[in-house]
Amino acid sequence: MNKTLIKWLVPAILLLIAGCAVPPQKQTAPAPSGNLAVTSLLGKARSQTAAGRLSDASVSLERALRIEPRNALLWHELARVRLAQGQLMQAENLAAKSNSLVPAGHVLRRENWIIIGRARTDLGDLQGARQAFERAE
Amino acid sequence: MAVRKVSARSVGKRVFLYGMMVSLLTFGLYAIYLDFAVRERFEGKRFALPARVYARPLELYPGLKLTPADLAAELALLGYRQVKSPLEPATYRWEGRQLDLVTRSFVYGDGPQPPILCSVAFSEGRIVSLTDRKRRSALQLVRLDPALIGGIFPGKNEDRVLIELRTVPRLVVDALLAVEDRRYYRHHGIDPRGMARALLMTLSGKSVQGGSTITQQLVKNFYLTAERTLRRKFTEMIMAVLLEMHYSKEEILETYLNEVYLGQDGNRAIHGFGLASVHFFDKPLSRLRPSEAALLVGLLKGPAYYSPRNHPRRALDRRNLVLSQMVEAGFLPEQQAAEARAMPLGVVERPPRGTSPYPAFLKLVHRQLQRDYRDEDLRSEGLLIFTTLDPRVQRMAEEAVQKHLAHLEAIRGIKSGTLQGAAIFTDTQSAEVQACVGGREPRFEGFNRVVDARRPVGSLIKPVVFLTALQHPSRYTLATLLDDGPLVYRQAGAEDWIPQNYDKQHHGKVSMREALIHSYNVATVRLGLSVGVDSVMANIRQLGVERELTGFAASLLGADALSPLEVAQLYQTLAGGGFRTPLRAIREVLTAEGEPLQRYPLNVEQVIRPAPVYLVTTALQSVVREGTAQKLYNRLSPDLGIAGKTGTTDDYRDSWFAGFAGDRLGVVWVGRDDNEPAGFSGAGAAMGIWGDIMVGLDPEPLTLVPPDNVEWVWIDPASGLRSAANCPGAVELPFISGSAPTRSADCGPHSVGHRIKTWFKGLFE
Repeated sequence: MNKTLIKWLVPAILLLIAGCAVPPQKQTAPAPSGNLAVTSLLGKARSQTAAGRLSDASVSLERALRIEPRNALLWHELARVRLAQGQLMQAENLAAKSNSLVPAGHVLRRENWIIIGRARTDLGDLQGARQAFERAE
Repeated sequence: MAVRKVSARSVGKRVFLYGMMVSLLTFGLYAIYLDFAVRERFEGKRFALPARVYARPLELYPGLKLTPADLAAELALLGYRQVKSPLEPATYRWEGRQLDLVTRSFVYGDGPQPPILCSVAFSEGRIVSLTDRKRRSALQLVRLDPALIGGIFPGKNEDRVLIELRTVPRLVVDALLAVEDRRYYRHHGIDPRGMARALLMTLSGKSVQGGSTITQQLVKNFYLTAERTLRRKFTEMIMAVLLEMHYSKEEILETYLNEVYLGQDGNRAIHGFGLASVHFFDKPLSRLRPSEAALLVGLLKGPAYYSPRNHPRRALDRRNLVLSQMVEAGFLPEQQAAEARAMPLGVVERPPRGTSPYPAFLKLVHRQLQRDYRDEDLRSEGLLIFTTLDPRVQRMAEEAVQKHLAHLEAIRGIKSGTLQGAAIFTDTQSAEVQACVGGREPRFEGFNRVVDARRPVGSLIKPVVFLTALQHPSRYTLATLLDDGPLVYRQAGAEDWIPQNYDKQHHGKVSMREALIHSYNVATVRLGLSVGVDSVMANIRQLGVERELTGFAASLLGADALSPLEVAQLYQTLAGGGFRTPLRAIREVLTAEGEPLQRYPLNVEQVIRPAPVYLVTTALQSVVREGTAQKLYNRLSPDLGIAGKTGTTDDYRDSWFAGFAGDRLGVVWVGRDDNEPAGFSGAGAAMGIWGDIMVGLDPEPLTLVPPDNVEWVWIDPASGLRSAANCPGAVELPFISGSAPTRSADCGPHSVGHRIKTWFKGLFE
């Protein structure tokens, strides 16, 4: 077999496998941002989260927040990362912050209440958690 | 005979051999000793490394508000070079309004970023596109390397302006090599050819030359004695060779540039090119012109003898000689050299006293670091500290403070230099400090008024009084009428207190909204006393002022003294919608090797419920639209919806302004250090500076999302009752659900008048 062909084929196959290994991204909101820089940082944060690099993911989200400080989705994603990091109080506060930036009925509200509910559960505040989950209904 | 002869010969040989071995051994041991000594010195210099403090990296992306001039200023700060064809890192060229540049590689907290060849296109004050010049594809985001803004140094009297080889202009290195060591990159510490040439020149009487390489000079610099013996010279040579065995040319050159002695300022020795550049030219090394670079390099031969301040003629001749040598070495075209020779020395008359261009900000950084690090680690571990300073915002703030104070003194006939000022600007949501101006001489490392000056805040405290009341929606709304009539406050054991309004008038019944937007003192005191001074003080703490304040009736009018930094924290929490984020000057700290050591992440804490904060913020927007801060909109667009508050203290001692737009928050103070009356109201001085800075920053509008439990209702301000949009004088106000008045005024939706009007309207429709 042609050596050059192998040289190209192997990495190509590896790349394909690697591509399949990336978990499909969760659909949270219709369009994250009209700003492509924000979109690319959000994508970066998500792949960093998937790779378990939570600290790096929060750095990427903070970079995005400097560009769009009132983007509720970014605050939400940061809350999600803090929850994964076990920083429960921060997760709860960041989700509340995200909620304060979108009007009632926005899809993010539900997601944020779920984060708040989970954080409160882990903090041992079961009643607070139940209230949060009810608001997510 | 033959035997004896042989044995004599062999004995001689043996003695010789032993002798050789002993001297080799001695030499070997000596070399090992020297190796140890020189490495210790070098490591000591290199690894007793001060912490390096960086500004924020500028992130470029399509849509970013940035003018070509802004970017040019940033590139100058970073020491990027303008060239014909930008292919090397840290170079650029302008093609009309398009910039082609190559970024410098840099290791960030989240990993290294290699150089990027890109083009930046501008239109109408924004970046419109970023293009990868290699791949001809669009880029979403390009991060420029951050500017080094200072260091935290070992020893008290030893200040340096630390420089990194990557940011040293080619010109300086070229001049240095042309004059001191042309074969630097080719020799191994000593240069026999150079020495031979020097010897020849000296013997022939043409000139006295040292023939020392840069490496040798560095070694010499490690030992402070100027002893000039052959033995010393020999030791230096061995040490130079040893040094080159252990370290790269770049490491040696960088250390040399930071170590070498270049002059004296009183009892302070000027070491290193970074400090020398500031000392002689009052600008960073990266911005030196050829004539200036040549002057500094010329000083190496004899900093005292060629001192441009004491012996300008000698310095000029020496400088021009250096320029000629640069031409000779092929580093500088003759035409440029000729231009440089025609330049004056350009040395500033008085050397600036500080070493960092941003001493006030650095002090803020140092304070934050001291909470987490031991001082000796900061001074010796070579930590990399990434801060939030935005040099562009800082520059605008400095200029506005200087310009306005001089202007105010001129128009009022105040003795020049009497007024002082301070300014702090932050990002409204991330609470990152972008600029910190500690006084009108921003380069002076003295009293930092942002951090250390505590002044009565006057009316700046009023929003907290109103916020406290609005937390009780069943008792207070923005429409609630307050009594602004004369008030005598009696307290056992103290003199009666009779608060006065700014205009010395009383305004009868006024709505809470009006009381805040016109900053009525008497109504505010009544309101504060009825909600309780303690509750107000508790809210001041909730909003982020950590200082313990006693709280008395006069606190309601801002008798308590706070620093501009504390005021900024307080308003930050309002701008954050009731979410408190501690002000941050640092993003992260890396080790000298670039490993993340500590991050200062964005933390928020909900301390006040969103609805009352929303109500107060809308009232603060009215302060600017129709109240005490109206004049702000002479220069800024009313569409910005700025929320702000003026503050003036007794006898016009302090002039304050605090406020925020969508993305930026600022606090400005103007007054006198001796606390004598300065003669300005908040709107008269501080607000002008604040407005000027904001005009330059071109902020985002403040658009608030009403919390779920807030509704907007039309109100008749005179009666505080419900009204309708078409009623005369009606204002639409936000209310926390269930707190809006139910009764209607004469023109309101349920009033007789309104019903008649609707009936008539019905007839004609």
